[in-house]
Amino acid sequence: MTDITQTPPRHRKPSAAATLLQSRYAGALVSLIVISIFLYLYQPVFLTWPNLMNIVKSNSVAFILALGATFVVISGTVDLSFGSATTAAAMVFGLLLINGTPLPLAIFGALLAGGLLGAFNGYLVSYAKISFFVVTLGTLSVFQSGALIMNDGGSYSVFSQPAFKALNTFVNGNLGPVPIILIFDAVLFLIAGGVLRYTSFGRALYAIGANPEAARLNGINVRRVLFTVFVISGMTAGLASVVQVGRLTVASPEVDLNLLLTVLAAVLIGGTAMTGGEGGVLGTLIGMLFLGVVQNGLTLTGVSSFWQGTLSGGILIFSVWLGGVRGMLRSRRQAKLT
Amino acid sequence: MNSPSPGPVVLEARNISKSFPGVKALDSVDLTLRAGEVHALTGENGSGKSTLSRVVAGLLQPDAGQLFIDGKELVLSDPADAIRRGIVMISQELTLAPTLSVAENIFMGRLPRTRLGAIDWRRLEHDAIAALDRLGVHVSPNARVSELGLELQQEVEIARALSADARVLILDEATSSLSESATRRLLDLVVQERDKGMSVLMITHRMPEIYAVSSVSTVLRDGKLISTVPIPATPEDKLVELMVGREIEDYYAKRHIEAGETVVEIENLASHDAGIAPVSINVKRGEILGIAGLAGSGKSEFAQALGGAVGATGRVTVAGRAVVLGNPARAIAAGIGYVPDDRKGAAILPVRNISENFALAWMDRLSRRGFVSLRQQSRDVNAAIRDYGVATSGPDVLISTLSGGNQQKIVLGRTFERAPEVLVLNEPTRGVDVGAKSEIYRMLQDAAEQGAAVIVVSSELPEILGIADRIGVFFESRLAAEFDRAEFTEEVIAHCAVTGDRRARPPKQE
Repeated sequence: MTDITQTPPRHRKPSAAATLLQSRYAGALVSLIVISIFLYLYQPVFLTWPNLMNIVKSNSVAFILALGATFVVISGTVDLSFGSATTAAAMVFGLLLINGTPLPLAIFGALLAGGLLGAFNGYLVSYAKISFFVVTLGTLSVFQSGALIMNDGGSYSVFSQPAFKALNTFVNGNLGPVPIILIFDAVLFLIAGGVLRYTSFGRALYAIGANPEAARLNGINVRRVLFTVFVISGMTAGLASVVQVGRLTVASPEVDLNLLLTVLAAVLIGGTAMTGGEGGVLGTLIGMLFLGVVQNGLTLTGVSSFWQGTLSGGILIFSVWLGGVRGMLRSRRQAKLT
Repeated sequence: MNSPSPGPVVLEARNISKSFPGVKALDSVDLTLRAGEVHALTGENGSGKSTLSRVVAGLLQPDAGQLFIDGKELVLSDPADAIRRGIVMISQELTLAPTLSVAENIFMGRLPRTRLGAIDWRRLEHDAIAALDRLGVHVSPNARVSELGLELQQEVEIARALSADARVLILDEATSSLSESATRRLLDLVVQERDKGMSVLMITHRMPEIYAVSSVSTVLRDGKLISTVPIPATPEDKLVELMVGREIEDYYAKRHIEAGETVVEIENLASHDAGIAPVSINVKRGEILGIAGLAGSGKSEFAQALGGAVGATGRVTVAGRAVVLGNPARAIAAGIGYVPDDRKGAAILPVRNISENFALAWMDRLSRRGFVSLRQQSRDVNAAIRDYGVATSGPDVLISTLSGGNQQKIVLGRTFERAPEVLVLNEPTRGVDVGAKSEIYRMLQDAAEQGAAVIVVSSELPEILGIADRIGVFFESRLAAEFDRAEFTEEVIAHCAVTGDRRARPPKQE
């Protein structure tokens, strides 16, 4: 029997380094550091501020999408349509801009468009109870085709629009040495991390991903949470579309299918499990940086960019395998301790 | 049924040791299995029973020690190797392919072939029918396994093991998801095979099963061999003492708790989804109502309907207020604390830690305007780990690494902490070892003492008889009868569960 007077079990806080090394994204983190050192030795220009900021800028669209995708994957589902949703939202954004809409209102419009597309996914998944895989595979082509229909296959060039100047500052401008988009990404990252850790919505996401029936029986409104997570995914697509249009100076109806791989790869390399209930945005950040550094390294070392798909796909499979091995070791060790 | 004449030694394990990183799971353990003998492997969860049985079944390689079959030393490299040598294991975890047919599952890996090498479907069906008939199971060999209930699935698993011509059969809690009648059938079969010379190694938490069929028991504790004792010469309390290493004076420790006013009134509660006929029953504060019945009698569905897990009709009031049915969140808000029977599938978050598994039930209390207070959570979780006696090195440990008993203490504890007016506990001690069971009985009497009405649905008659103040018996989807503590005996309840009749008092009463 337990002694009621004893103090709560106190365990030593493990050091920060030990915690990092045991975490789900340890593999990605170690690989990131190793590959960065190699790159630096081979091409010292790698570790210069402009080059690093270049990595940040060229990956910010994917990073914003990856934050939303992390939420979706934690809930135990997947959204395959965010790339198409980004394109469709970009067309809405472009249309608003060429009609002289002020930038804040146009951004709001892009967010709203993305949110509505996400709500459409969310409704079909959580209320009509159709498999998320089927729904988002379907909307992947629906949204893509919608973007083509909007301007009969054409794009909207926003370069000459009055609002473009402000947009360009947002996407390409600096605040001192720091790109504005980096600050924006950092704020989004902190919000996403805070929501996952400190809000009951975030906790409900993990619970639903880990065991939806247990979540339901403990009073969590599973359908509403799933619906919300798809809306969030859609809204990140809306935000990403703004950055994308700013970078390209044009709203194009073409869907960048590479985006789908890059984003999901970053999430999974970062240790968020496809089976749901595990992971977080810190892992996604590390996964994204890793992929960005690899891509940058290929450019710096002059390796053909054709190799990039081989590398990022291979790294994805390898790191998820590594995560599985690590998880197995950890649960065995813990099983014996208790 | 205990066979007195054991045959020659079939399998012997000597000085088996097995370590996992950090802990010695088995420390130089011996085990001798004889032909025509049922050998019970006993011990609390975490004592090394499963590890030892997995070594014998070729699922794990020991770090040290030897295995002998028919006196010859051998190394089992994998389960297939063990099966080839006639060592077959049935565990509580099903290993069926749900999308395939019953017949394909029974003969998986050894499907009969025609001369051309194609599958001989006709013979497969014929052989499968023979294998099923042997168990007395009536199920079509062409049915998809996923369409069968858990119990029938377990029987398919058993049919597969027995059709493999096993010499050594290992039952690792194989009866834990079976009803009483199915358990009896399995035990009859075990006896039948034993008498034909099979050697059976049985792991179970159910004492009556050990005493029904086995003739010897090896007791493990903390990975060490404590003793190998004859059954039934060793009485039950002595065996439990060997297992837990201390005396458990009164297993159920039934207290007298003064019942208060009626707090839950159930009127014509029925469930179309779950298929139960209207049930009416009231429960008082401090009262423990046991619900008995065979598998499929509707007792589990009754608990689910009360807990809001399935759609239901009728009228339920808690402390005078009507409960909105068919919605877990509304049931919780009304003061109903429901604990499901399927711990893994419906209660725990296996990939999350102890802390979050506790907090899952406390989100309302821990959060303000959508934000969770992690400080308060940590305080509450530490207190609950202590109060409910969860054996762990800390709150950050993954729940899936704990024993069934410790997991269940967390699931019960988080519900009790909400101080519900009514507790609805569906099989609260399923897959839990003896020591933890006794603690769970104490926990739920504590809750009753604090004024909760406690409804315990259980397939284990002894525990219902041990702790309930009143017993309701389900039969064919309805509440067939109620008995007060003064009038219930094992015989009366069992009779009612099988026939649905409230028999006249047994004549032997004084």
